Amino acid sequence: MDKLRQCVNDFLKTILMLLASFFICLGVQKSFGTEHLIPAIFTVSVFLTTLFTHGYLYGVGAALISVLAVNYAFTFPYFKFNFTIPENLFSAVIMLTVTIITSALTTKIRKHEKMMAESEKEKMRANLLRAISHDLRTPLTTIYGSSSAMIENYDKLTKEQHLELIEGIREDADWLTHMVENLLSVTRIDGERLNLVKTPIVLEELVDSVLVKFQKRYPKQALELDMPEEFISIPMDPVLIEQVIMNLLENAVKHAKGMTRLSLKITTKEQKVLFKIEDDGVGFTQKHVGIGLTVCDTIVKAHGGEFTMKNRKTGGAIAQFTLDMEDEEEDE
Amino acid sequence: MSNNRYKILLIEDEANIRNFVKTLLTTNNYQVFLAENAVQGEIMFKSYCPDLVLLDLGLPDKDGLELLKEIREESATPVIVLSARFDEMDKVTALDLGANDYVTKPFGTAELQARIRTAIRNSNPFAGNANFTQGKFQSGDMEIDYDNRKVSLSGQELKLTQTEYNIVALLAKNAGRVLTYAEIIQAVWGADDVGSTKKLQVNMANIRKKMGVKPGANKYIQNELSIGYKMNIENEQ
Repeated sequence: MDKLRQCVNDFLKTILMLLASFFICLGVQKSFGTEHLIPAIFTVSVFLTTLFTHGYLYGVGAALISVLAVNYAFTFPYFKFNFTIPENLFSAVIMLTVTIITSALTTKIRKHEKMMAESEKEKMRANLLRAISHDLRTPLTTIYGSSSAMIENYDKLTKEQHLELIEGIREDADWLTHMVENLLSVTRIDGERLNLVKTPIVLEELVDSVLVKFQKRYPKQALELDMPEEFISIPMDPVLIEQVIMNLLENAVKHAKGMTRLSLKITTKEQKVLFKIEDDGVGFTQKHVGIGLTVCDTIVKAHGGEFTMKNRKTGGAIAQFTLDMEDEEEDE
Repeated sequence: MSNNRYKILLIEDEANIRNFVKTLLTTNNYQVFLAENAVQGEIMFKSYCPDLVLLDLGLPDKDGLELLKEIREESATPVIVLSARFDEMDKVTALDLGANDYVTKPFGTAELQARIRTAIRNSNPFAGNANFTQGKFQSGDMEIDYDNRKVSLSGQELKLTQTEYNIVALLAKNAGRVLTYAEIIQAVWGADDVGSTKKLQVNMANIRKKMGVKPGANKYIQNELSIGYKMNIENEQ
């Protein structure tokens, strides 16, 4: 689809450029009464065409048409083809050379830009991996250490000590689960957006599902909820979006020291749904940008939405992201 | 009493998982049989006639869904599927193939036991489902009167449309079990309408509105996003 659009776009650009130069030439010929400028004007137009379109095709096409136009309209005999003039053939060679050099250069530049973006992505992934392997080691140490201690000192430990060690194991295993879920999410969207399987999810059901999980994990934490009453359907991968909201709520519970209020506000504007998670704690610092937030950003972007995290003027942090509602036309 | 214990067959290739599930279930008075692949599982299923099967979908020798299909061809023994978090399609397929429930790995022991209890109770007409008495379904403060097609909360009757009533009644008849969107649509609108999930979702939104439940506090019907719905049984969630 995008490919087709790009083709049409490039084609229109080429035609416009040719028409423009043709009329400029007509004007120049009329007002200055000379043909000397005409090949130069066409050369510039071919150059611009090549610069702003993709691949060699349009530039070469424009060059050939320009040569024909110069031959037909601006060389004696006017408005008649005459292929016996060596001057005209020579200008054709010049234009084609310009075209080929320009498109070679622009292709090179585009490739370079793509490579820069790729290496940026690579760097991000490497950082993420480093953070993860560091973060995985801590709970693994507890699990391995505690269980070894129990096996090797089984009879020496009191019942309470056993229980304490086992509780540590469970806690860290729980944390690991969490981490692995985040990791899985990243690998799921890893190979570009195409892998995302979106299904229409009812907003109210999404929120219900997240809240049930949140209350289970943090039964003591109150959460204010404010959301539209109407039926809203959003195409998404629900497991991933649930995780985004959960990560943001948990981030507040864990890092927003001194928090007295935590809220989830959902509003709609035209076709967009805005999710806002607000707290009144110490605010957010760069230090807290862990895997959780990186994952949120990646997931939201893969859904075509925007994710931002900032501090409120009155204290506390706001994390917000947008998602697109289902198109009305797709309903039927 | 040991002869009366429920028999559970666990088909799972990971030794550590087999081990802890066996310990957990044995100490909670179930009789447990272990199989580490599909072939073994099939043989044990035929020779021990378990009351319930815990089936891992990722088996080394055969697709767990394949095995589920074979079990369903010859018996209605409840099957709970163990699956990974991201396999929604597998979950839906398993439920449509007749699995009674699924548990996502890693699972808590309390959750697993609750699911096992529900599945066994629902499958056993003689054990009696405490929620059904004389054409009525009761769960918490919700009551469904099947004879008069009425649903009420704390004695207050809900004004449901025919379709809405049919949905609630269907879920109640299968309480404790996830029904997929396709299953519900097929039962309520007929086979031709499979695929119109949106219609079901809109009806569900209206049911929630009439019940007056808020997100995060719906104790009657549980959302399984992109899979289906489940009527909760009191004290099980």
